[in-house]
Amino acid sequence: MSSTTAQSGLARARRGVAPGGTGTAGGKRKSKLSAQATRTFFWLLLPSVVLLVLIHGYPLIYAAVQATHDGDLLQTGNFVGVQNFSTVLTSPAFWKAAQFTLWFTIVGVFGSWLVGLGLALLLRTKIPAGNTFKVLLLLPWVVPIVVSSTAWNWLVATPDSLIPALFRNLGLGTPLFLADPTLASITVMVFKVWVSFPFMMMMISAALASVDTTVYEAASMDGASPWQQFTQITLPLIARSTYISWILMTIFCVNDFPTIYLLTGGGPVNATTSLVVLAYRTVFQDFATGPGVAIAFLMTMTLVVISVILYRQIRKSSVE
Amino acid sequence: MSAAVHAHPQSGPALGVGQAGNARRVLSEAGQRGRWWRFIAILIITAVVLVPIMVTIVLAFTPGPNSTATGLTFENLSNVFSKTLAATWLKNSLVTTLSTVVVSVAVAAPAGYVLSRGRSKAVSGYSLLLFVMQSLPIITSVVPLFILFAGMGLVDNLLGLTIIYVGSTMTVATWMMAAYFDSIPISLEEASWIDGCSVFGSFTKVVLRNSLPGVLSTAIFAFLLAWNDYLVAIVFLRSNEIFTLPMGVQSFFQQNATDWTSVMALAVVMMLPPVIVFAALNKYFSVGGIGGSLAGR
Repeated sequence: MSSTTAQSGLARARRGVAPGGTGTAGGKRKSKLSAQATRTFFWLLLPSVVLLVLIHGYPLIYAAVQATHDGDLLQTGNFVGVQNFSTVLTSPAFWKAAQFTLWFTIVGVFGSWLVGLGLALLLRTKIPAGNTFKVLLLLPWVVPIVVSSTAWNWLVATPDSLIPALFRNLGLGTPLFLADPTLASITVMVFKVWVSFPFMMMMISAALASVDTTVYEAASMDGASPWQQFTQITLPLIARSTYISWILMTIFCVNDFPTIYLLTGGGPVNATTSLVVLAYRTVFQDFATGPGVAIAFLMTMTLVVISVILYRQIRKSSVE
Repeated sequence: MSAAVHAHPQSGPALGVGQAGNARRVLSEAGQRGRWWRFIAILIITAVVLVPIMVTIVLAFTPGPNSTATGLTFENLSNVFSKTLAATWLKNSLVTTLSTVVVSVAVAAPAGYVLSRGRSKAVSGYSLLLFVMQSLPIITSVVPLFILFAGMGLVDNLLGLTIIYVGSTMTVATWMMAAYFDSIPISLEEASWIDGCSVFGSFTKVVLRNSLPGVLSTAIFAFLLAWNDYLVAIVFLRSNEIFTLPMGVQSFFQQNATDWTSVMALAVVMMLPPVIVFAALNKYFSVGGIGGSLAGR
């Protein structure tokens, strides 16, 4: 909506040039301004463009070169065509990592959404110290991942850590949270939900804040049950921000490196190796630059498609 | 909004005025009772959620196994600063992060202004490009950048790290600034042009001057990203004295037996700045529509 306002000002002034806008004095002033605006815009945008080319454009092109060549980190070798891609696509490790990434993403997105939604709903009504709780609950997202993974490590890593010891004292055995492949996968996903739910909570709270509460009073006078109010009123009203947050969280989960790497390093037995972790290890531990970059490239392609679709959707919904 | 309209009761007239008042009172009493349930539920959930953070703080101030101290102590903190390179790491993190924040805002604010005010194919194309770039895995750029920076002597170098951080914040930062500028009415600028102000002049004197929340929001985002980064640091930093805090904390794990008291002491040092920044400025962080919503992990 605000973009329409922006459109009217400078944009109108700039377009003033096109339809032979001389004639009136106002037209002259406008076209002078628009030429000046174009010049100013160019200089204002220049640093950003230079950085984008240097930090994003150049590496992307160079990555394409590396993905199609053999060689190592120090020297790009000979052109090998799609050989790196076929190496990657035929390796079981790649598909295992892709599968883990998929599960990690699904659990990460919907887990953090459900927890975030629940807390946003609880915090919507006025409760004592509500704002303090809001800030406290953001902490998992604000605290550096290196710090929180350290704490999680201390809590679960060894049989004598706090949580396994707690299980033992309850007579539930001593779960090896980071040594058992299944448990390690679950632990990493729970950790990811823990890190991400505040973001979802923020998004949903912002969406809920714009809902007129009299709607609920009216609905409950009408005899709508809380569940009906939730499904008929709340969910539709937060649908747009929910949709955006799902896709954003998908991108965050697919691209996530530290959450997994710091807690498990991708182990045990590669059980928690995601595509990013696999790409990192292929390049910097196995020194197979070509295949490593090929993995990153395959992810890039997938994410470009997702984000172009997302961009279109956001554009469309902000026009409506 | 259409859903809200449909949700309005059609049966309004069936209720008398008195009944409506009654219903409202009953409702708010239920609400009062609900508040305490909610309060207790939130209290328990928050306590459970914060266990890892509380554990970090408690361990940081608890005497270590070789210590003679009792009760809570600052021994771990002083040890970590006197016996390790913690002070250097802290300085490295601060220098890198603050440079990232300043340069990010300096690059993103003007670019965001163009995105917000300019309407041409080139501008909207650039906006799409920024959006796509922010979603790409940083691991793709890291390898080529490593080779490029190695040739320029920027590997194991804080300047190199800063350049990459600015590069990776600028996409979202530009969107955040653009979203904020969208909310500033263009009529303010038009008035200044009539007074003979240039486009650049109106940008700095009129728009930027009214954009403190937007700038702060962008700055917080850049701060969190640079302060918390691990992937770029682990690839680009080699030597102990160039480490930033995340690498410093991690370096304690390479020994056979982890020195938990030192780790936790340094972890507390590391989490303090973002927590302080967020506690003080979090009201600014909710602004910026899609921009704010992009700022996550």
